Amino acid sequence: MTKRTLMLATAMSLVAGAGMAQDKPKIGAALYGLNAEFMQLWAAAAEAHPAVQQGLVELTIFDGRYDALVQQEQFETMITEGYDAIIFAPIDAEAGAAAVEAAVAAGIPVFGTNTMANTDKLSSYVGSDDVQSGYMEAKYLLDKIGCTGNVVIIEGPLGQSAQIQRLEGNQKALAECPDVKVLEQQTANWSRAEAQTLMENWLTVHGDAINGVIGQNDEMALGAIEAIKAAGMDPKSFAIVGIDGVTDALLAVKAGDMASILQDGGAQAQGSVDLAIKAAMPEYEPMSPIWAQYTEMPWNGGTDKMYMVPWTPVTLENVDALLATRQ
Amino acid sequence: MTTTTQNIGQILQRYGIFIALAVMCLTLAVISENFLSTRNILNVLRQTSINGILAIGMTFVILTRGIDLSVGSVVAFAGLVATSLATTATTGMVGNGPYPALLAIAAGLSVGMACGAVSGVIVSRFHVPAFVATLGMLSAARGLALIYSGGRPIPSLTEEFRWIGTGSVWGIPVPIFLLIGTFAVAHFVLTQTRFGRHIYAVGGNPHAAKVSGLPVRGIRFSVYVIAGALAGLAGMILAARTGSALPQAGIAYELDAIAAVVIGGTSLAGGVGRVTGTLIGALLIGVMNNGLDLMGVESYYQQVIKGVLIVAAVMLDQSKNKQD
Repeated sequence: MTKRTLMLATAMSLVAGAGMAQDKPKIGAALYGLNAEFMQLWAAAAEAHPAVQQGLVELTIFDGRYDALVQQEQFETMITEGYDAIIFAPIDAEAGAAAVEAAVAAGIPVFGTNTMANTDKLSSYVGSDDVQSGYMEAKYLLDKIGCTGNVVIIEGPLGQSAQIQRLEGNQKALAECPDVKVLEQQTANWSRAEAQTLMENWLTVHGDAINGVIGQNDEMALGAIEAIKAAGMDPKSFAIVGIDGVTDALLAVKAGDMASILQDGGAQAQGSVDLAIKAAMPEYEPMSPIWAQYTEMPWNGGTDKMYMVPWTPVTLENVDALLATRQ
Repeated sequence: MTTTTQNIGQILQRYGIFIALAVMCLTLAVISENFLSTRNILNVLRQTSINGILAIGMTFVILTRGIDLSVGSVVAFAGLVATSLATTATTGMVGNGPYPALLAIAAGLSVGMACGAVSGVIVSRFHVPAFVATLGMLSAARGLALIYSGGRPIPSLTEEFRWIGTGSVWGIPVPIFLLIGTFAVAHFVLTQTRFGRHIYAVGGNPHAAKVSGLPVRGIRFSVYVIAGALAGLAGMILAARTGSALPQAGIAYELDAIAAVVIGGTSLAGGVGRVTGTLIGALLIGVMNNGLDLMGVESYYQQVIKGVLIVAAVMLDQSKNKQD
């Protein structure tokens, strides 16, 4: 009998809980994977959003575990559970499109962030332009080596959108310096250990003929630095660039070993949360401080199709402030 | 078949792996003027050290008819635990650090051995197939690595700790000494000790081993502890080499380790194989990766070539068994 009472009480509290939760809009963030630092910063910033902190909305973060099928299933869950809006960073642009279309067909608006889904059904997209970052890093490097000499490019996984677009940006900048020769160009799959091996082998072939290293992300640039150090050379005698602004890269910038460009995942997160809330509560005004921080990306009533968060070059001047945010 | 061709066939089978390595090295020496430079040879050996150490541990397991799929995840977990004691970052999770490198290394080895011990108990006492038990550990250890680190890398390692990855003695990088040391101990254990002979006996014929009173359970258990400890060592070298421990480090490393063992002629059916072959197998993979990089071949082709090599090695192994 006691058991039955307990069960009844549990059932009632569950119903009550569900009833209470329904007062608040439910927002789901389906991210491609939470194993790497960048998406963790994204998730932490989304949870730190003022509206989430004040309990205005209920935010649930889903870890896609780098698997398009897992993400698809998470979408099915969100559709069944009647979420009010979905924020989506797909692992794959094509597979992501199907998930978006299913949610939109069920009447749930979907907002893209960080990675694109190949569909026109997204209500809006908050990300950063990878072509631009690829251009910025290569341009910085070419300026540093005086638009002459030899460079190597360490690429992301071939075929991933960030690799394709960052390479497009790299090549745009390289086209402006016809005297610069690309000695080697290969993938290290975003991995520091793979990039280190690659760079060690390239140093064997080319030695100090290499003047610059373009890493399409920070991890790989850091791998190149380790390889250079292991070969008994000084990273400062090379121009080395990376993208993302992960903590280790900030430390390397501070040490003068490389340059990096910060991708502000936190701003992407907070911007997309604002848009998702706006979709669920039409009278909502954005609460994130990012709109004041990035005046070149105006809110425009939350109606734009694209919000491009600007890239921030990491310099000796701002590196300490950025490191302080990582504690 | 004449005796001469038979002899050539036997020589090929017995020393095929050495010949393959020698042919590959000679070819590369001709193609690339840098291949035989001291620096490149040291590079290849250093690049091989992590996989070589993992593969030596894997050899013990495979000799008993087992397999350890969890070593890649253990690499990450042990690396994170060790570096959390050896980081100067204020975000380090263990208070009052950094601690002496020896303590950090002991912690990393302990984590590896603990993971191996869990797999070992499940395999030897509960008779769960090694494939399943270590598949479980592959997932669990990766999860523990992510939990322990909060999914974040551990940067800013102490110079003292980094010495095991970046230091050198008499101009030779420390990871190479660790590989050679591991190899020497493993070779001694497998060829000169009673424990080593028991490993072969258990793998060759578990039933006979049991009937003749060998501690089959204990031997099965211990090989997973050995593989775990070496995975811990490899994880620490990796972290020390790259300067930071990552929770996503070591993914799929078990495949390269198994490949080195198989290429080296150790039979997946257990009881047959040598750690010398494993070392050569690991070197073959390392030399191939290095050579294809030197020649500027894309890494995707390297994967295809490695696949062909593994299958060819096993086919050679099969034909040898058929003849016996």
